[in-house]
Amino acid sequence: MMPNNKSISEAMLDCYQVSKNFGGLQALSDVNLRVKEGTVHSLIGPNGAGKSTLLNVITGMIVPTHGSVVFDGKPLGNVSPHEINQLGMAKVFQTPAIFPEMSLLQNVCIPALAARDGAFKLNMFDRGEGDPIESFAEETLAEVGLQEVMHSEARFLSRGDKRRLELAICIAHRPKLLLLDEPTAGMARHETESTIELLRKISKSGMTMVIVEHDMNVVFALSDIISVLAQGSIIAEGNPDDVKGNPKVIEAYLGEEQE
Amino acid sequence: MNHIFLQILTGLQISALYMLIALGLTLIFGTLGVVNFAHGALFMLGAYFAVEISSQFGFGVAIIAVPILLFIIGIIMERGLIRFFYERPHTDQILVTFGLAIVLGEVMKTIYGANNLPFDIPKWGSGIVRLHEYLPFLEGFVAYPKWRLILIVVSFSTVISLFTLLQFTKFGLIVRAGMRDSQMLAFLGVNITRRFTIVFGIGSVIAAIAGLFGGPITQVEPEVGMHMLIPSFLVVVIGGMGSLPGAVLASLILGMSISFTAEYAALQQIIIYLIAVIILLVRPRGLMGKKGLME
Amino acid sequence: MNKSTSIFSKYPIPIFSLVVLSFPFWFEYIGGYPGLDTKILIWALMALGFDILLGFTGYLSFGHAIFFGVSAYATGLMLKHFSPEIIPAMFIAVIVGTIMAFAVGYLTMKRSGIYFSILTLAFGEMLNSAALSTLQDITGGDNGLTIPDVKPVLFGIRMDGLSMYFLAAAILILGYYLARRIATSPFGLILKAIKSNQERLEYTGIDVQKYKLGGFVISAIYASIAGSLMVIYEPYVATEYLHWSTSGELVIMSVMGGVGTLVGPMIGAAFMLYFENVLSVPLGEEWLLVLGIIFMAIVIFLPGGFMEGLARIKKRYFNKSNKEEK
Repeated sequence: MMPNNKSISEAMLDCYQVSKNFGGLQALSDVNLRVKEGTVHSLIGPNGAGKSTLLNVITGMIVPTHGSVVFDGKPLGNVSPHEINQLGMAKVFQTPAIFPEMSLLQNVCIPALAARDGAFKLNMFDRGEGDPIESFAEETLAEVGLQEVMHSEARFLSRGDKRRLELAICIAHRPKLLLLDEPTAGMARHETESTIELLRKISKSGMTMVIVEHDMNVVFALSDIISVLAQGSIIAEGNPDDVKGNPKVIEAYLGEEQE
Repeated sequence: MNHIFLQILTGLQISALYMLIALGLTLIFGTLGVVNFAHGALFMLGAYFAVEISSQFGFGVAIIAVPILLFIIGIIMERGLIRFFYERPHTDQILVTFGLAIVLGEVMKTIYGANNLPFDIPKWGSGIVRLHEYLPFLEGFVAYPKWRLILIVVSFSTVISLFTLLQFTKFGLIVRAGMRDSQMLAFLGVNITRRFTIVFGIGSVIAAIAGLFGGPITQVEPEVGMHMLIPSFLVVVIGGMGSLPGAVLASLILGMSISFTAEYAALQQIIIYLIAVIILLVRPRGLMGKKGLME
Repeated sequence: MNKSTSIFSKYPIPIFSLVVLSFPFWFEYIGGYPGLDTKILIWALMALGFDILLGFTGYLSFGHAIFFGVSAYATGLMLKHFSPEIIPAMFIAVIVGTIMAFAVGYLTMKRSGIYFSILTLAFGEMLNSAALSTLQDITGGDNGLTIPDVKPVLFGIRMDGLSMYFLAAAILILGYYLARRIATSPFGLILKAIKSNQERLEYTGIDVQKYKLGGFVISAIYASIAGSLMVIYEPYVATEYLHWSTSGELVIMSVMGGVGTLVGPMIGAAFMLYFENVLSVPLGEEWLLVLGIIFMAIVIFLPGGFMEGLARIKKRYFNKSNKEEK
């Protein structure tokens, strides 16, 4: 294996010539995306550009018509969601996906168990209480600032806090790659700001992230690299300053407004 | 030749009944997303009403009255009960319709008793048809009960009418779109609830037709609803849940398989389940099931 | 809620044992008769196991008669042809039931819950038809499996009356203890997560399919033990043991009692058998109609069953004292 050194960092995720055709509609054509380890890589682009499709291809929810995805050196073929997750990829959904009827602590215990015991273990008679898993889950909740309310049911949380909980569920796994599908959608301004802070903190711990986001403040505040998708292709890629001034990007967005 | 022909005919007759019940089930499931465990009870009600009305006023009146009655009952069922369950988990929908099936069965038991009610076939439908007189390829004497032939004709006419309705009317267009994506339709501002209430009514009418023409062949007793429901469920699942052509195809497969195993009683009793297992192992979504529905 | 104040939640196993063990001595004062108490325990055992499936994972099986019935036939055949000693009979019965559970579970649990309900119902009917016709030489067909002159024994002790009751009671208490352990274990937590949000669970690295199958098999083992006990209690296998109505009754009692609570379905079982055998006398032929209406009313207005009803009553009348304690 390569030494874990950022200066010569390997690609954590490599999408190679990915195309997806939905019954005649070309959602993605020849997309090459390389996400380097330890970076925050954002995907932006007008509506219908193929961002969500690309994200779904990465998580294996959609099988591409052509091309391949290599994650951490392993090609992702026909793998189920839990296998992808066990390989070290976690996803934050567009609408918060949590376990609403369970306590926050239980919500986070589940991914912690998945990380410790694998995808399946017939662990029927272990007492849940007092398990080291619980203190681990508690720490993870503390990281996202939800430790205070860890015994209340998840469904009573505000939308922003649900998102935090989902983040906790995802990072409890200590994934190598965290995918975020519009992490600040529907949030109030102060919630957005605290989410940016939180994501920045998580990224500093060395976790690689891919973010699909509409809010440019979030994108520019967090990203190391930005890829711009339009009509199923990547039209520009670079650091935030490069992308800001790129005429193609401006055109793509203006094109959307005229429609 | 004669033998195979008769087996095909019997297969068609068995399919005819399952097809009618399964069509209503899959239509209601596809549009409203509800698995109606009380659908067999609608068939049972249809059969009871048919017996009662035809003994009082003749079968001709029953042909008109029973579908109308069941249409009304279907609408009441949807508006008065089922619609409160659209937002609740699927298990609750199954539970409440299962409860309703029990209650309806028990009500009929209280009124008519647990025994089979005799269902007199109208004069014009009784007796046999000498098929060899019409079909030159049959050798010797080949006869078939007239009522069973009528059932086949009625069933397939119903299927064709339903497909015509769905294929060539604006109402049908909306229903078909709804079977694909009901949220999209709601988004487009189409009032699906009212139209889907009518779909529930149509499903009930098809069950009524099944009860009218199938009652004399099955039996008219409180248990018959559940008895018919289980194979019809299999038809729906094998055909692919929510797929109308799938239901037609699957009922033909099941009907024929029952008919062609008639000489092996031990096999005949379980053949439809065996076929179901095999098909579901090969095609977990059923023959014509679409991706997305029921995942 | 007043979780901390309830005596039951402090000492669940001792209190449960006390109720179960003393049951035959006060049951007759509320209209019960000897033998019905044993039957109630057997059904309670099946309902308890059913809750591990329906209450935890949310999967509604309409085919649990399969495991009850198959195990009943296996027990009957063992008692009839092998030995009246019940241990080998129960052992084989549970193994047969478990194998059935893996087969049925594998075929039915791949997809959604609706699919599962329909297919379990269909598989139940398949086995019922098979028992009545295809396999009638072994099962006795429509007459059921008669086991003449066999008196089941445990280590030579005859199992009838009170001894049978206490055998069932011991198994039920053990079953309840194990079910509670499962409920608080990581395995139980993940089963409950299936009901809560299956998609999230998959994307959390859990092989949901295996957990579902695990929950299904465990609940089927409970049903198998219950089926076996039923034949030991009454050495005869009725055809209705495999009929869908047995699955239906199990669903009704579990839902009436309150799914997901473990105790609720057992109360539901007791209520249902009491209703069927004691209250049906004054109600006459219409008892099932009344029960059906009660069931529907519970599904519509009180989805948590009797247990939710109890909780609501508690909340209304004891809320004040509860606040003071806090």
